Amino acid sequence: MVLRRQKTLLGAEALQRAIFNSANFSKIATDAKGVIQIFNVGAERMLGYTAAEVMNKITPAELSDPQEVIARAKALSLELETPIAPGFEALVFKASRGIEDIYELTYIRKDGSHFPAIVSVTALRDAHGSIIGYLLIGTDNTARKRVELALQVGERRYRHLFESSRDALIVLMPPSWLFSDANQAALQMFGATSKAVITALGPRDVSPERQPDGRPSAEGATEMIATAMREGSHFFEWTYQRLNGEAFAADVLLTRMEAGGQLSVQGTVRDISERKQAEAELARQAQEVRAANRELQAANDELDSFSYSVSHDLRAPLRHVLGFIELLTREIGTNVLSHKALRHLQTITDAAVEMGRLIDDLLAFSRMGKVELYENLIGLDGLVQDSILALDSVTQGRSIDWKIAPLPEVFGDPSALKQVLVNLIGNAVKYSRPRNPARIEISCAGEEDGRVIVFVRDNGVGFDMQFAHKLFGVFQRLHGTNEFEGTGIGLATVRRVIARHGGRVWAEAALNQGATFYFTLRLATAA
Amino acid sequence: MDSFKRILLVENSPRDTELILDVLSGHNLANDVFSVSDGAEALDYLFRRGPFAGRTDGQPAVILLDLKMPKVDGMEVLRQIKNDSKLKVIPVVVMTSSREEQDLLNSYQLGVNAYVVKPVKFAEFVEAVTRVGAFWAGLNEAPPGNVARPPRNAT
Repeated sequence: MVLRRQKTLLGAEALQRAIFNSANFSKIATDAKGVIQIFNVGAERMLGYTAAEVMNKITPAELSDPQEVIARAKALSLELETPIAPGFEALVFKASRGIEDIYELTYIRKDGSHFPAIVSVTALRDAHGSIIGYLLIGTDNTARKRVELALQVGERRYRHLFESSRDALIVLMPPSWLFSDANQAALQMFGATSKAVITALGPRDVSPERQPDGRPSAEGATEMIATAMREGSHFFEWTYQRLNGEAFAADVLLTRMEAGGQLSVQGTVRDISERKQAEAELARQAQEVRAANRELQAANDELDSFSYSVSHDLRAPLRHVLGFIELLTREIGTNVLSHKALRHLQTITDAAVEMGRLIDDLLAFSRMGKVELYENLIGLDGLVQDSILALDSVTQGRSIDWKIAPLPEVFGDPSALKQVLVNLIGNAVKYSRPRNPARIEISCAGEEDGRVIVFVRDNGVGFDMQFAHKLFGVFQRLHGTNEFEGTGIGLATVRRVIARHGGRVWAEAALNQGATFYFTLRLATAA
Repeated sequence: MDSFKRILLVENSPRDTELILDVLSGHNLANDVFSVSDGAEALDYLFRRGPFAGRTDGQPAVILLDLKMPKVDGMEVLRQIKNDSKLKVIPVVVMTSSREEQDLLNSYQLGVNAYVVKPVKFAEFVEAVTRVGAFWAGLNEAPPGNVARPPRNAT
């Protein structure tokens, strides 16, 4: 029986010894005056001193950061309203009064390096309750301090971003869903003088009674928050009202945030009143443009009708002028008339004929603005041949090399497109008059967006490209009538017709090196 | 060639009338041209009513018809002629300034026999009028009963 008791005692002792010598805790026991009596392995390890070096020699205060000890003394003096000397007393005063004491302390190792520690102090008493010493148990808090620091840095970064962001940032917390935080930009946006003002409010306090769609803001705000909570985020437009009463439209993004078991909604608010104004202005301008366009179109139509009927009615009197010149000439008798007189009569006739051409061209041009165009399937080959035939009167007696490639089928109005070809081929014939032989090529130059590019090319007198922009204008000519006859409406008519077919026309040329006129038409693709 | 084939010229413009007559006579085609200056007169003549109530001579071999006339225009004249059982056999040649598709369409739908656009240039005008005259009043066989008869009291 004695043996067992001894064994238990020994076991218990060994355990105690093991506990005391665990390296993760520094255990320093002092006498009542603070002089170190016991210095465990953990303390040796943490502080770098051997027990022999410190025992009976110093107090733990000398192992700590002196500034801290002084600060601690001061703080304690204030807290307990009694003067406490900076030194060991400051470290153990509370414990001596039986007050639980755990605090942070910076220990200084033998090699001079510092490390943060958490120290818990207990007073050791004898059987009578008198203090015989103190026990200071400490742990190395370095790792935890590092984490704390990282957190602090993170928190500082976040705070900086939050406060300095130019976007208004807000945070809403349940269950009240009032503003729990708002950055400077938000304060400015809502016209709040301080965070204290804004954190007493919620979204409904910075919104008008109703939203533009008539819905009560309070109801809408609740729903927006609910959607953000449910979906994770919600982006929407909202009308706010600054504290001074001024309303403004904003883009809002609300996102659900969960941290530390705490739910919140973070929001970004962007004042879009400027953008809204610009949009409204744009819409108004677009409407003005549309109205102006309608007016323009109406005026154009009127002009077309007018030109059309006038040109039409001018033909009869013109016919009479020409007819009666003949009758007059015959009446007087050509042998009686002088050379000059005959020349004058011819001039009158020529002028009247020119008038006739102008009228015809004007008629064709204004008709292209009025008349309805049919959309047929057209074989361009046939149309080209018809056009050349129609120009028989001007091609007679001329030496012309025709180079005509096979052309595809297109969609368009046959008579309108024939007019186009007659004009373009007629021009090619006309302006290549100084050439012998004239070379006229009609072919395709590829495709563009489902449209075929057709061209008419001649080796005639060409033109200076710097005047190219004038080519298709009404009554615009690049040559005098003494060089080449013409009214200046032919190309304008061509452009009009092709434009009504949804295509485009353009030309390329060089002086004395001929010209090429291109136009596009919708291809008739195989069904 | 029967020189008695009458041409009825329905033309509103006195100038065009003069020109046409001049051309026709210059080519010996104006032996018998009766001209009226508006649609109402033309119908009165053909229907033998109003100022022409007592007309006893035959119907024309061809009617040259202008379209743009006040009061009763050419299209109306054409319609009435082609809707009348007796008059519809008379060939009608529209001679007008208009090359308008609508006018062409309407004329042919009403049964016009030919549609000629009056050329502006005189030489072309001459050719058009002489060809029309030479064909319709010359080569073409007129419908029976349409040759002008000499007055009754001739032997």
